[in-house]
Amino acid sequence: MQHNGHLGPCIFSAKDVEIQFNLRGKTLTAVRKASLDLYQGETMAIVGESGSGKSVFTKSFIGMLDKNGAVTGGQLLYRGQDLTQFKTEKEWLAVRGKKIAMVFQDPMTSLNPVRTIGEQITEVITWHFGTPHAQARQEAIEILKKVGISDAETRYKQYPHEFSGGMRQRVVIATAIACRPEILICDEPTTALDVTVQAQILNLIRELQRELKMTVVYITHDLGVVANVADWVSVMYAGQIVETGTAEEIFSSAVHPYTKALLRSMPQLGVKGHDLYSIQGTPPNLFKEIKGDAFAPRNPDAMEIDFEEEPPLFQVSDTHFAKTWLMHPYAAEHRDALALQDAKEKEKQKPAAPFDYQNAEKLLQVQDLTVKFKLGSREFKAVNNVSFDIYKGETLSLVGESGSGKTTIGRAIMRIYNKVDGSIIFGGEKINGKIDKKKAKELHMQMQMIFQDPMASLNERAKVDYIISEGLYNYHLFDNKEDRLKKVENIMAEVGLSSDFSSRFPHEFSGGQRQRIGIARSLVMNPDFVVADEPISALDVSIRAQVINLLNKMKRERSLTYLFIAHDLSVVRFISDRIAVIHKGRIVELAECEELFRHPLHPYTKALLSAVPYPDPKVERNKTLISYDPSVHQYDAFPPNWTEITPGHFILANEEELEGYRKEL
Amino acid sequence: MENEKKMPQLNPLKFRAKVFDQMLSEDTGYSNYSYWRSTFRTFFKSKAVVVLVVLICAIILMSFIYPLVSDVDPNKVALKRKMWNNRPSWEHLFGTDGLGRDIWTRAWYGVRNSFLLAFCIALSDVGIGMIVGAIWGYNKKLDPIMIEIYNIITNIPSTVYLVLLAYIMNTSYLTLFISMASRGWIVEARFFRNRILSIRDSEYNLASRCLGTPMRRIATKNIIPHIISLIIMEAALCIPYSIGSEVFLGFVGIGLPVDAITLGNIVNQGRASFTLHPYQMLLPTIILCIITVAFYVIGNKFADASDPRNHV
Repeated sequence: MQHNGHLGPCIFSAKDVEIQFNLRGKTLTAVRKASLDLYQGETMAIVGESGSGKSVFTKSFIGMLDKNGAVTGGQLLYRGQDLTQFKTEKEWLAVRGKKIAMVFQDPMTSLNPVRTIGEQITEVITWHFGTPHAQARQEAIEILKKVGISDAETRYKQYPHEFSGGMRQRVVIATAIACRPEILICDEPTTALDVTVQAQILNLIRELQRELKMTVVYITHDLGVVANVADWVSVMYAGQIVETGTAEEIFSSAVHPYTKALLRSMPQLGVKGHDLYSIQGTPPNLFKEIKGDAFAPRNPDAMEIDFEEEPPLFQVSDTHFAKTWLMHPYAAEHRDALALQDAKEKEKQKPAAPFDYQNAEKLLQVQDLTVKFKLGSREFKAVNNVSFDIYKGETLSLVGESGSGKTTIGRAIMRIYNKVDGSIIFGGEKINGKIDKKKAKELHMQMQMIFQDPMASLNERAKVDYIISEGLYNYHLFDNKEDRLKKVENIMAEVGLSSDFSSRFPHEFSGGQRQRIGIARSLVMNPDFVVADEPISALDVSIRAQVINLLNKMKRERSLTYLFIAHDLSVVRFISDRIAVIHKGRIVELAECEELFRHPLHPYTKALLSAVPYPDPKVERNKTLISYDPSVHQYDAFPPNWTEITPGHFILANEEELEGYRKEL
Repeated sequence: MENEKKMPQLNPLKFRAKVFDQMLSEDTGYSNYSYWRSTFRTFFKSKAVVVLVVLICAIILMSFIYPLVSDVDPNKVALKRKMWNNRPSWEHLFGTDGLGRDIWTRAWYGVRNSFLLAFCIALSDVGIGMIVGAIWGYNKKLDPIMIEIYNIITNIPSTVYLVLLAYIMNTSYLTLFISMASRGWIVEARFFRNRILSIRDSEYNLASRCLGTPMRRIATKNIIPHIISLIIMEAALCIPYSIGSEVFLGFVGIGLPVDAITLGNIVNQGRASFTLHPYQMLLPTIILCIITVAFYVIGNKFADASDPRNHV
């Protein structure tokens, strides 16, 4: 291994690590002989879906496995020292935090809410180095400045709740780098953050890495983030590293079927009007012994050998390794056949024609909708004077960051929040405020909602059969029991679930399957209009494509109209006809999908578009971030109006701004 | 690579495409976890719990079976002086009291009566509490009124309240029941209100509302199954509290009439002659202690076991 593409020496090496958990009397093998080398000053991204063992694997580097888990095999060599030999906490403390530090996903839970952030950083320094308090305090302020917190001296004395999510994550990073660790492990550092903030945090970590010469390990499921930050990528599946190589190699010439499938199923790469490439099925059960290639059952192009023998790690290039039988000389024929098949598929896809708005009829009109919430004695407007129409048969997406009020709009339309100002008109009739029982029943049949979190949106104590037929029971939409069971069976087949599942409880299903149950529950009512509240944001990358395809299929077959709520512009581009961008309770821009991507006008839309991660390292490395500062508007003196600047392109702006936008067009 | 050399016996024919099996790919990685099974497994994992559950069952069974099979009258007063205050012997396992009544027999009758009373109180507290709590949890408008009622009831010391009620009404089982049940429900109601508030707006309940599910079905299908373990736990914790109150009232002399056989009365009578005949208090106190401690431990352990976070 002379020329291996690495710049510095190898400082950490995990060799054939096996990690097992004891769960309710059964043994779960979360990591199955995974190996990983980390080199000084480089960035390694570990990609995998939930349950692939990526978090557990890296947590074992700092001895932070849960009590019921243990490293049962292999070595963790840090500068020649085998960390698996550590017995006591004291030994671990010499490494954990000091040499190898970790940044966790949720900044809210990794900070102590009752102590000032400064004290928390100071504590780390005094604890590890025994520095006197006053000096540690100075250092802490320096570190806060370093992570981009302005006015660090004042901020030092503040509590976590006084910081925004992004700022809090900066503080968490500050505590992690306080001891100048050699290796910084970031476990989904930006998943809980908004896209615009995410880009800033990634930049910050990159700068810190350069300055402190750290090795950074990213754990993420977002290929866009990977393309942005990583020098090296390791793909993890079912507790094994199935492919590893430089970012360019992985993104441009992936070899393992799982990596290829992951990359192909990104909605950014989809062609409108066609099914997105999707990975079938669900990840394997790690309680069972896995025979052969773990991905084989989900791989439509698997070979017989994949089910029988576990593939070894084949070398693709000096820097690129993959654990798949496809690289075996015997598989040459199969490989060529696959390549041919891919090329054919790419050729035939032509984007569908855009939605025809000329002859469309309005299904839902929202006029001057304002939703107020009471916070103690204060009142704040979650949704502020919002107007838009939804045409029959289209998909309108509502895109915005968390707290922008997008879910509130969806819920106001569904009459979950009924005390709203303005009017919501569905099929020519006003539906907000008081309506009679008969009308309410009709609406329940015509409008349905799909929820975000497949874990929380199903009743854990009811069988799938009941969950799906809940709506049928409510309005007695069946003749007899057989008829009801038949209806349930039909809808389950439509969403791709086996009918034997109907007597099971929700916890026996994976996230994607649960989301399909949720979709079946709303569609069994035969609605015309569906509010989909972030239906894919809680799902794994490999499952997302399945659900997107299912939603599109249902739309085609049942001529549905969707209001699709999302925070991720890239997903939205693939599925929607029109996009509305919402910021702080106001829709700032609304246009047809391609128009919005071609001519974004509002500065917020521009910022949002610039921050969207794209799964291609070449694109990601060269992108420039635009940040949005609401103070550029002078709305106090000249209040903005909701104006149609070109046909179908609406924008929130005042006269002066409109002038500027018109020139831009 | 060296790995390849190790496996030269691979069959080239195996490198052919295999037919894709949809069902195989859907084979979930999710265990057949069951909430109730896991709850009971965690619950019975602790040896202390098993011992206490067995003990409690034995005591309660005994207290119900004994009066049926024994022909000793617990109220039979001996006229001969030598039958009074007898020490434990084969004839009277735990001796006799100042009137020559058999303490062994009286203790079982007492356990039965006290337990039945406590059970009724627990049932009414948790039952009323749950219904009120559910209504309270679903109607924000009730908050100010209910909080006031809660404050008023809980701020009056229970002793004063119980003593007053016992003076106003004639002492009887019903009086005792009314006096204890009339204040216990509010605490339960608040407890259930908080729990229901936290699951009321969860997504699966919103989904039910979007489907137009009537309130009754939301309550029976969505809410109660999620808090049933809490209901069991609260009921289990209510029983020792009620038995304790009954004993306390008996102890201060305003409990049930002297001729009623309850643990409170027996302990009270034992106390009167404690300095001369300490053994008279022995059996009823031991049983009382076992019942109270056991119910508390079982209730708390059940609460722990019913928390999915502890299902490891």
